[in-house]
Amino acid sequence: MSNFLQFTVFGIMLGAGYAIAATGLVVTYTTSGVFNFAQGAVGMIAAFGYWELVASHHQPTWAALIIVLVLGASISGAFVERVLMRRLHGASAERPVMVTLGLMVILTGMATIIWSPTTQRTVEPMIGGQFRLVGINIQYQYVLIIGVAAAVALGLRALFYSTRTGFALRAVVDDPELLGMSGVSPHRMSQYGWILGFMMAALSGLLLAPTQTTGISIESFTLLVVSGYAAAIVGRLKNIPLTFAAAIAIGLAENYIRNYVEPHFSSQLQTDIDTALPMVFLFIALVTLPSVRLRAVGRLTSMRSPRVAGVRESIIAGVVFLVVAVVMAFGFSNTIVKGTTLLTLGGMVMCLAIVGLSLVLVTGYSGQVSLCQFSFMGIGAFIMGKVAGGGSLVGLLFATAICAGIGALIALPTIRLSDLYLALATFAFADAVAQGFFNDGRIYGSGGLQIARITLGSVSFGGDTAEFLLVAVFFVLSAWLVLAIRRSLFGRRLVAVNDSPAAYATVGLNIGFTKVAVFAIGAGMAGMAGALYGTVQGIVGTTDFDIFPGIIFVLFVTIWGIRTVSGAFLAALTFVALNQIWPSGVGIFAGLGVILIGRAANGILGIEAIHVRLPWVRRPTGGATAVPVGAFGGATGNEGLSAAG
Amino acid sequence: MPQAEQSAVDVLTVEGVAVRFGGVAALGDANLHVRAGTVTGLIGPNGAGKTTLFNVISGLQTPDRGTVHLYDRDITGMKPHRRARLGLARTFQRLELFGTLSAGENVQVGLESSIKWWQWRHVKRAFPWAKRSAVNGVPADEPTGPGAIAVETSDRLLEGVGLGGLGAEQASAMPTGLARMVELARALAMAPKVLLLDEPGSGLDDAESEALGELLTTLAKGGMGVLLVEHDMELVMRICDYIYVLDFGDIIAAGTPEEIRKDPMVQAAYLGTVTDSAADTAAATFDQPDADGGRGTAADGPGERGDEVAEE
Repeated sequence: MSNFLQFTVFGIMLGAGYAIAATGLVVTYTTSGVFNFAQGAVGMIAAFGYWELVASHHQPTWAALIIVLVLGASISGAFVERVLMRRLHGASAERPVMVTLGLMVILTGMATIIWSPTTQRTVEPMIGGQFRLVGINIQYQYVLIIGVAAAVALGLRALFYSTRTGFALRAVVDDPELLGMSGVSPHRMSQYGWILGFMMAALSGLLLAPTQTTGISIESFTLLVVSGYAAAIVGRLKNIPLTFAAAIAIGLAENYIRNYVEPHFSSQLQTDIDTALPMVFLFIALVTLPSVRLRAVGRLTSMRSPRVAGVRESIIAGVVFLVVAVVMAFGFSNTIVKGTTLLTLGGMVMCLAIVGLSLVLVTGYSGQVSLCQFSFMGIGAFIMGKVAGGGSLVGLLFATAICAGIGALIALPTIRLSDLYLALATFAFADAVAQGFFNDGRIYGSGGLQIARITLGSVSFGGDTAEFLLVAVFFVLSAWLVLAIRRSLFGRRLVAVNDSPAAYATVGLNIGFTKVAVFAIGAGMAGMAGALYGTVQGIVGTTDFDIFPGIIFVLFVTIWGIRTVSGAFLAALTFVALNQIWPSGVGIFAGLGVILIGRAANGILGIEAIHVRLPWVRRPTGGATAVPVGAFGGATGNEGLSAAG
Repeated sequence: MPQAEQSAVDVLTVEGVAVRFGGVAALGDANLHVRAGTVTGLIGPNGAGKTTLFNVISGLQTPDRGTVHLYDRDITGMKPHRRARLGLARTFQRLELFGTLSAGENVQVGLESSIKWWQWRHVKRAFPWAKRSAVNGVPADEPTGPGAIAVETSDRLLEGVGLGGLGAEQASAMPTGLARMVELARALAMAPKVLLLDEPGSGLDDAESEALGELLTTLAKGGMGVLLVEHDMELVMRICDYIYVLDFGDIIAAGTPEEIRKDPMVQAAYLGTVTDSAADTAAATFDQPDADGGRGTAADGPGERGDEVAEE
């Protein structure tokens, strides 16, 4: 019984920590309409900053708290709203998500440079000691966390529902213009929201840091907040009391499972279960969440889509690309860059470019943010290495098909909801797969998983040159596929469902089916790319398909242009190149890039000034100016469709 | 089906629909019928619940109470896309276009909505060699497949709403009046049995408004049931066969344009308490265009709720 009580108290404490982080997410979302993916990273920076001040510079606790919480978090929150978020007003829906992801990778990148990940850092409790109650030991730090969480929840509730500022904070997302007309600055309200959100994030980081018995680590602390996502989702990103209750329930469930269920399994399985728990909670929350009502919001996207290459143009570009690849394959077959052959690096670029193409389909065309394309790559590589002895076309097909199936399973619970929930589901999936699957020694083995080069019948692609050319062919075929899809009626539907879901449904088209279909196709492409990636490298390890490189790559594609084939290729090229030149700075580069690109929906390649006219590209003819008034003469214009059958 | 017989059929029936948003009743007890081959008007002051009723009919809003029938089929719990497939099309008060697509592509999405893209005969059209072979008996030198026919028909549809030659224009770059016509063409592309139009006349000039009226009348003559929400009273009175008046979520009057014009409840809804002078002003609102040559609309005319309070 005393064990149960002990676990309960610890569970409530854990849940209280999640509750602070989750309410921070809710506050930011309620006041700005933006889900802050950097919430965990802000908490991590606060924890490390606090450690730096107290443990390294021996400052008193109160001074460190004031510096980190009151000054650091509030100023950062105000800065982020003013400099990063305000300029995104009217940008495409996925852009704020990308910017907060950019902020996350900048913060983790900076932390990695400042605080070496190899050094262990433990944070002392703010209030040391413990007391005994009903036969169990309770640390004062636990009481502090629970008390602060309760005070935060009650305080926010009072702020939002009992003060004029609170009403304005709630109104700012619904109609900022209307709020402005009532004499309240919507920008200021939004800024208050970001300040509050950052302070909640920092507070959760500061309070949970001393509970990390093995010390605080940059990656795990950044991702600690994933459990808070589920709580925020249960609260539908707007209900603070419900979010708080859900966070406590999650903390309790997590601790009970850890202490009552996991001991029955091997230590490796215990770790797997532990890492999968946030993902499980998130999916339970997503499945139980009521459907979001489709709304006609009257948002008319004014973004001009990049011109889609025609059939002739695509074929010529593909052939030119292959010719260049052949020249490179034979001209640079012996070139070595930092211990790796140039052709291997080139092969990696093209595999990643295929992943980029999958993002063009999923995010660029249909507007769904996927943060787990690298996870599909990793699964694809694993299947390629295990099926039919590795290196076979059967393995490639299996990798594609199984990843497509997994993609559909991830997308299914979220199709009733808004696209944000899919982004959250993919984030949680990427985290769970990276930690629970790729890090499992039995999956890739301690030395990595060997994957043989592809053999087609009697033709082997064992050499670097042959493999490079094979992957180049796959890239060109994938690019043609993506462009063909865009030109097809399915492509029009992808763009349409992104532009106006309400109109899409009222012309008789099934939103859920379209979104699941494109997500599955994208997942299949990423799985295929992963299988090829494995054959190019020959061996894949635990860190190849981690969540952070995956997110950074999404940002690279966004920077270059997530709606174009060339954007996907250039993203892969710069990603691989920068990883060779400055590996620790890739995240910072990506984060800054996506922030600088700001509202430019089509990335660098969408900037008109850099466009060059290629000789084989036909210029579009100018639009007609005459506006003849016609009449139907009794017909409703559907004869053609009937004829089509 | 003969015209007279068509007109007798209720294509859309709304019975006892109620919607509450928190403590506010957007619709109290809405009932209406739309008959095939007629244009039915739905008018009322701003905030009366017209768009909410459209959302209930098209499936974007679940009612707290009441039913919606398309012919004899209860569609109350049906998803919006299923209703649309049964023949219910709509436009929106605030434009809901596929903004990054061209006007022609907007219409094509409507035209192609019944096509299952994953079927091989459609998938193969994406490949460059598809157009070089005869498919389903269509010669190789003719436009092949639903996509090609859709392009042809989308041009025809756009021409029908006065947008001939503008198929390549990006929808979001078009002026509001033209964009509304793209929305209308997209709805017509589905060959609907019932067409819900939410203020299609806003943003149109007099000539365009007149052309719209003719178009809607023509569509109704073809057997379609049209339900029209519109503030342009001159247009409503001219083309509607039957009119419902909605106020504070309830249907307060229903009848022919002549009956509605004289209804004291309607005059009160538009002008506050009725006096002789107010009734005259109301009649003028329904009958005449604005003095400046514009259209007399409830929104910008003297009929706007609260603009004028008659003395007791």
